[in-house]
Amino acid sequence: MNPEAIIDTYVTDVVRRLPRKQRADVAFELRSLLAEELQDRAESAGRPADAAVTMDLLAAFGRPVDVADRYRPAGFTIIRPADAPGFARVSLIGVALQWLVSLVTVYSIPMDATAPGGDWLSRLGSWWLTWGLGAFWWPGFLVTASIVAALVSSRRVPKDAVPFVILDRDRVNRSLVVLYIALAAVGSAPLVAIPSIASWGSSLPQPVVEAFTLDAEFLAYRAPWALLLWAAALGIAVALLVAGRWTRTIRIASAVSDVAWIALLVWWVAGPVFAAPLADETTRGILALLAVGVVVDLVFTVRRIAKPIAAPAR
Amino acid sequence: MVTDVPPLAKYEQDLRKGVLVLAVLSQLRTAQYGYSLRQALAEQGMPIEEGTLYPLLRRLEAQGLLDSEWQVDGGPPRRYYTLSTPGAELYRDLHESWGALASVMNTLLEGPRS
Repeated sequence: MNPEAIIDTYVTDVVRRLPRKQRADVAFELRSLLAEELQDRAESAGRPADAAVTMDLLAAFGRPVDVADRYRPAGFTIIRPADAPGFARVSLIGVALQWLVSLVTVYSIPMDATAPGGDWLSRLGSWWLTWGLGAFWWPGFLVTASIVAALVSSRRVPKDAVPFVILDRDRVNRSLVVLYIALAAVGSAPLVAIPSIASWGSSLPQPVVEAFTLDAEFLAYRAPWALLLWAAALGIAVALLVAGRWTRTIRIASAVSDVAWIALLVWWVAGPVFAAPLADETTRGILALLAVGVVVDLVFTVRRIAKPIAAPAR
Repeated sequence: MVTDVPPLAKYEQDLRKGVLVLAVLSQLRTAQYGYSLRQALAEQGMPIEEGTLYPLLRRLEAQGLLDSEWQVDGGPPRRYYTLSTPGAELYRDLHESWGALASVMNTLLEGPRS
């Protein structure tokens, strides 16, 4: 085979990965340099500049994709090496969860196995073409979000002072904790007032009173536990305010509180909350979403419960 | 935990990488094209793989450290590179840094004098 043809193919393969405006110039220079290298290599080896010597030269030069990388200036990182395992884990778990939920849903719908498309294999095929492949939106979304984040951070001018939350992630802003306590106190007041709405009957329209009438069983047995958990949350917030940082004890208390909230919310969602069906359905939907949010918070809290640094085993 | 120790060549390669730019800049005080530069470096004991050197010249040029032009001296057209004004300034600064670093390294390697 003609060495020049081999070099031309190689050079074309390298420059097609470069910016268009660079290609012709780099290709011309690289081909010329490789030709000289080939002559030099052949003369040193006392052999003709044939295809074998050319292939040896190109092998030493490197894969076209690697050579093209070397021509490019350092770009920006989309996913940092330290984040790569976590990124892969979140991507795969997200896809697996979607597959699990959608498979259970698909196969839990009763269908006549003898009807067209009703056998398990056909259902699997339909599932794959819809939910199965569709689940890959998640890794795509994560990559897109990472690209946006990388672009933003690559354009940001680095500040001299690193924010304390980056260096000491356990430290809290006391002002924000005070604000949190104040907002929680203000926000819980209307919720506590809901049972009393019926007694304001004369001043509110009847549909409003009916919509906000709590289920009697909920009010008597399931609702009061919220007061206890709010008190616990307040205690945790005060402890945070005093300590000025997340300690291991506060994080464990927060995780326990999250577990209790999840249990309570599940209990609430399992039965009626409001007497009116529409208000009840809407509220239970919101409570279910709230439970999911608490689960996410629990995961983050548990992951951040640092084990005390132990001396290495001798 | 003990992992496999990379071969000596890997450590030598890392050492060379650290001085690659300075070595290239030092030879481009006079105009050179890629192949002649590689030969010049190799003859002086600093062999650099062609797959590393040629792209490096382009990157340094893109950074404004080198100027280049095509020249035809009776043979095939060749792209000659030479230090630009910022490249010459960087070379002077790096040259000084290298002197200080080499001195420190010599002290470290020879150990404290008694």
